[in-house]
Amino acid sequence: MERKASSSAAAVWAILRKECRSEWRTRYGLNAALLFAVTSLAAVSFAVGPLGDRTDILSALLWVVLFFAALSSLSHAFVREIEGHTLTLLRLVASPTAIALGKLFFNLIFLVVIEAVTVPLFLLLMGGPPPGWSRFLAMLSLGSVALAASCTLVSAIIAQTRGRGALFAGVSFPLLLPVLAAAVKGTRAQWLGGTVGAEASILLAYALAVFGVSLLLYDHLWED
Amino acid sequence: MFARGLLFVWIAAWIVLGFAWAPVVPVLGDTTRVLYFHIPAAWVTVVALAWSMIQSVLYLAKRRIEHDDQAAASAELGMLFCIVATISGSLWAKAMWGSYWNWDPRETSIFFLLLIYAAYLALRGAIEGEERRARLSAIYSAAAFVAVPFLMFIVPRIFDSLHPSPILPSREQGSMDPRITMVFLAMLVGFTALFYWLLSLRARFARVERRLLEAVVHG
Amino acid sequence: MSAAVAQPVTAPLALEAEGLMHRYGRRQGLDPLSFRLAAPSAVVLTGPNGSGKSTLLRILAGLLRPTAGSATLRIGAEDLPPSARRLRVGFASPELAFYDELSVTENLVFAAEARGLADPRVAVATALERVGLAARARDLVPELSSGMKQRLRLAFALLGGPAVVLLDEPGSHLDDEGRASVARLVDEQARAGLVILATNDEREMKLGAQSIELRRRGLGDPA
Repeated sequence: MERKASSSAAAVWAILRKECRSEWRTRYGLNAALLFAVTSLAAVSFAVGPLGDRTDILSALLWVVLFFAALSSLSHAFVREIEGHTLTLLRLVASPTAIALGKLFFNLIFLVVIEAVTVPLFLLLMGGPPPGWSRFLAMLSLGSVALAASCTLVSAIIAQTRGRGALFAGVSFPLLLPVLAAAVKGTRAQWLGGTVGAEASILLAYALAVFGVSLLLYDHLWED
Repeated sequence: MFARGLLFVWIAAWIVLGFAWAPVVPVLGDTTRVLYFHIPAAWVTVVALAWSMIQSVLYLAKRRIEHDDQAAASAELGMLFCIVATISGSLWAKAMWGSYWNWDPRETSIFFLLLIYAAYLALRGAIEGEERRARLSAIYSAAAFVAVPFLMFIVPRIFDSLHPSPILPSREQGSMDPRITMVFLAMLVGFTALFYWLLSLRARFARVERRLLEAVVHG
Repeated sequence: MSAAVAQPVTAPLALEAEGLMHRYGRRQGLDPLSFRLAAPSAVVLTGPNGSGKSTLLRILAGLLRPTAGSATLRIGAEDLPPSARRLRVGFASPELAFYDELSVTENLVFAAEARGLADPRVAVATALERVGLAARARDLVPELSSGMKQRLRLAFALLGGPAVVLLDEPGSHLDDEGRASVARLVDEQARAGLVILATNDEREMKLGAQSIELRRRGLGDPA
């Protein structure tokens, strides 16, 4: 039992490092995602202009841009394995859960990198008051965790369909709606000076629920 | 045979009674009648989704294809009833409040259910191989299961409410004529029976189709 | 020489199949099959195309869940669960692909680390030596010829000295020297544990003391 747990952890860690190294070597995934995020941000900024203190629209747009960035890029982790035919290799060296967790952590790091570029740019371009940093970051981080957990599971499923990633946005949307709702509300609240306790709890609860159920479901992902 | 006939007569009779016999709820006026369709349809939508999800989990646990038949059939029918519920709700909203869609909590909830059904069915349509389709859609169904309580209760509260709550104003004294309640409950039963019948038909069809194909292959 | 060469399995090892059968949709992939294999031994798996050789190996490797039946790997008295089986079974087949953006060594070290091997780099170095790929250790995978890629697959299968090695057409793309080393590797593994190789090649068929022959399915076989 002890050996099993530590070799699972070793597998997750090895997969995470491999993902990062692969991504760094090719980089087209990251480049495409950053380009997409910045482009959609530019489009919004161009169309709407600085928003001053329209914090309701500001928070909605921020999350819409982040969502689009996530939806366009987080499925790559699994689609790449399928298209490169390397899934067999992965399945021979690690359990399905270890594979999924490795990808999950990678997706989370990936999201953080994209947000590190997109969010400051957003605040710059769209105007708006300075955020209450601790609450703002709480919303960002909890929302990202919930996003990553949901997207990883769905992309693992979608990668095995015809058309690979095409259905990803549509199929993951119902699972992402709670995140969108709570994150937008919370982000607006912190701009209005209020607390984000309720929204933070929702995001955390949801992230834990999705992650918990995923742990039970990962094992069934690949059987042929 | 007899049961089907009875079901048909039951629903038809209560529809007529709903228009001719039961009175209207004062605040709703003639739109009272929609209670008899919209809510039973919404009820079946939820029941169908729950059944589909339960069967999905059972499939993952037991790996018997009959569970997948049930899950898929229930989802298809649930989608149908969901569309009925959405449209009837929208028409009611137009009659009552002047606009077809307001994103109030109940409308939002039914829309979310529609999305889940659509996503599940789209996913099934894109997977080749019976076993793989069953397994992957079951995984998605189980994951969507955790989203449902959030989508049904928490998210709608995040928006403003236009919908009168509760649906059956039992707190209001003397506002619900027992005849209305009777028709309503009868239609609830009728719709549920209708769903059950259609579900067993659809599941049976899937089974027969599979046996036919196997017979062709094995000679 | 180190821990990474096939070590003789100390406890009795048995690989058992009970009514293993697989269908791909409507198409029969593997007819019901039962057997009991014990180590040390080399077993040759033969049969015409479509008889299920690759299907069987994939099931034994844990990559494919059979439609019916079960396969158990037992070491001593212990039935190994899938997670433990992964560590004790090596697998190589023509469709096994590696990461193009990583080098030979990086691919194998990744595999060794993920498997939780004690000394990944040493295990990798040894495996590369055994298949004659040490000189190309730093090359990226796309730079390898098809023969070299096959050697990489063999190195992967032998990584860490697993108790059971499953080889699907191990000699494909290999020159005479390559085939000779396959023969040598099979021999080494057969002394230490179990090796099953699926093949249509007559020369390879002689490498095994035992054989399992799969017959092609008759009527009802798909077009």
